[in-house]
Amino acid sequence: MTGSIRGRGIVEGQASGPVLIAAEAISFLGDVDINTGAIVGDLPSVHGRSVKGTVLVFPYSRGSAGAWRFLYQLFKHGNHPVAIVTRDSPDPSVVQGAILAGIPIVSDVPQSFWGNMRDGETIAVDGTSGEVKAID
Amino acid sequence: MRLTAAEQRMLDGGDGPAKQKAMAGLVQLGRAFGAERMVEIGYAHIHAGMALYLHDVELMEDLAELGATMAVPSSVNIANADTVNWQATGAPEKLARLQQRAADAQNRMGAACTFTCTPYWAGHWPTWNTHMTSIESTVTIFCNSVLGARSNRDGFFAVYAGITGRYPLFGYHLDENRRGTHLVRVDTPLRSITDFSALGFHVGRIVGEGVPVFEGFERRPSLDELDALGAALATSGGVALFIVPGVTPPYATAAQAFGGRVPDEAVDARRADLDAVYDYFCTRDDGVFDIVHVGCPHASFEEMKEYGRLLDGRRIADGMELWVTTSRPVRRMAEEAGIVRTLERAGAKVISDTCPISCHFARTVSPDPELGVVPPPLRAIVVDSAKQAKYVRDMIRCDTLLTGTAEAIETALTGRFVRHGRAA
Repeated sequence: MTGSIRGRGIVEGQASGPVLIAAEAISFLGDVDINTGAIVGDLPSVHGRSVKGTVLVFPYSRGSAGAWRFLYQLFKHGNHPVAIVTRDSPDPSVVQGAILAGIPIVSDVPQSFWGNMRDGETIAVDGTSGEVKAID
Repeated sequence: MRLTAAEQRMLDGGDGPAKQKAMAGLVQLGRAFGAERMVEIGYAHIHAGMALYLHDVELMEDLAELGATMAVPSSVNIANADTVNWQATGAPEKLARLQQRAADAQNRMGAACTFTCTPYWAGHWPTWNTHMTSIESTVTIFCNSVLGARSNRDGFFAVYAGITGRYPLFGYHLDENRRGTHLVRVDTPLRSITDFSALGFHVGRIVGEGVPVFEGFERRPSLDELDALGAALATSGGVALFIVPGVTPPYATAAQAFGGRVPDEAVDARRADLDAVYDYFCTRDDGVFDIVHVGCPHASFEEMKEYGRLLDGRRIADGMELWVTTSRPVRRMAEEAGIVRTLERAGAKVISDTCPISCHFARTVSPDPELGVVPPPLRAIVVDSAKQAKYVRDMIRCDTLLTGTAEAIETALTGRFVRHGRAA
């Protein structure tokens, strides 16, 4: 991506890592294996990839009240994404899991962002200010 | 967010580290969802501390160690082992001992350690307009839709809300979000509690996170039927509130439920739609199954009576395994009423604190290897609840056979699967 983009800071904190872009919605209950970090759900764009250490980018979370536990378990196993960027506000349960695990989230990022990013490039996410930017 | 002096003191650490940690989390949650202020809650249904997840019991022990106590009446959600009768389920003793540690932490914090997904049957019955929180979506939808309380579908922060007695004012705590979005016309007589479960599963798939308004019931549904309907709506969709005019406070009519808005779309629920749910959860037709399970969500006393009536003086078939799951408080009432004796004489196992999807059968968990948890190979489970069926598939990863309660028990008695609508 070029330059920076300002979204809405949902969960405070700063982190950077390689981008993993999912075209589909994610449910942390079922779509991601907590023991490996691999995406095992029906998400053709990223199936089999690992969320570990990535800035995980997806349009929205599919509702599950149990999502927090799986996000927190990913963290406990060291297989968590370092930051999350979404188009729509994630579920309260995802937000609660991210706060527990210290994973910053920026949401309300415009759809154009998806086309402006290369899979694997390193970006920095600031969940306090809402800024997402490329790192050279 | 605008905080009161008392809330600010909690945030600043004036009321100790536990309240500070809890309030800091709630303030961040409130900011994320644009809440202007906190609201005082009257009830919290909180996380158990689950023995099958790494360091999860420790989450609750750490809070107890920090000095956390519940500021409001609190009940505790379902756990991963029967803490008294774990042998009956084949669970390793180490798992049960770890689960008991969570109970110790809950007792220190002053939560009523119910270990159930139906705390209302155990006496936790919040009333109209009570702001509350729940980690269990079945509890959220029952309390919103049947009792008129106000709850979001929460996660771990239900614990923080219990510790502070506060929750950020957003979502289903606000009148504007407690209006109907979809009109559902029920166009078939409902013959069993499981029919209500199938109806909920069908409608939840269509309305997603909407608020369905139901019309067309032949009579006022019973509390058990409303419970089954809600649990299934919260499973296939993200539904937190359904409205049955005349039942759900404060709505007397469908027009009131929609608050002057026009519904997005009308949803029809016909017999064929319900049959399709049964078919969807009958994934095996070779007559092979390992366990018959009733009591999802955890059975009420009325449901325990019904199981007793169906099993009185009879005996399940050789080699059959019949699980009845209910909360420990309801189990105690059923013991005193002689029902548990009737069920056990018939060969059923009465299990509390857990259920098939919440016990060591689950394959999506990550227990400490030290506990020696080995999920047994299960081929299929007969269930009378679409919620249990969905998660048997997703978490235990074995086949399911969904049928009515009476048919499930007939299945255990005869050893042959009885489809819904075919009970003797």
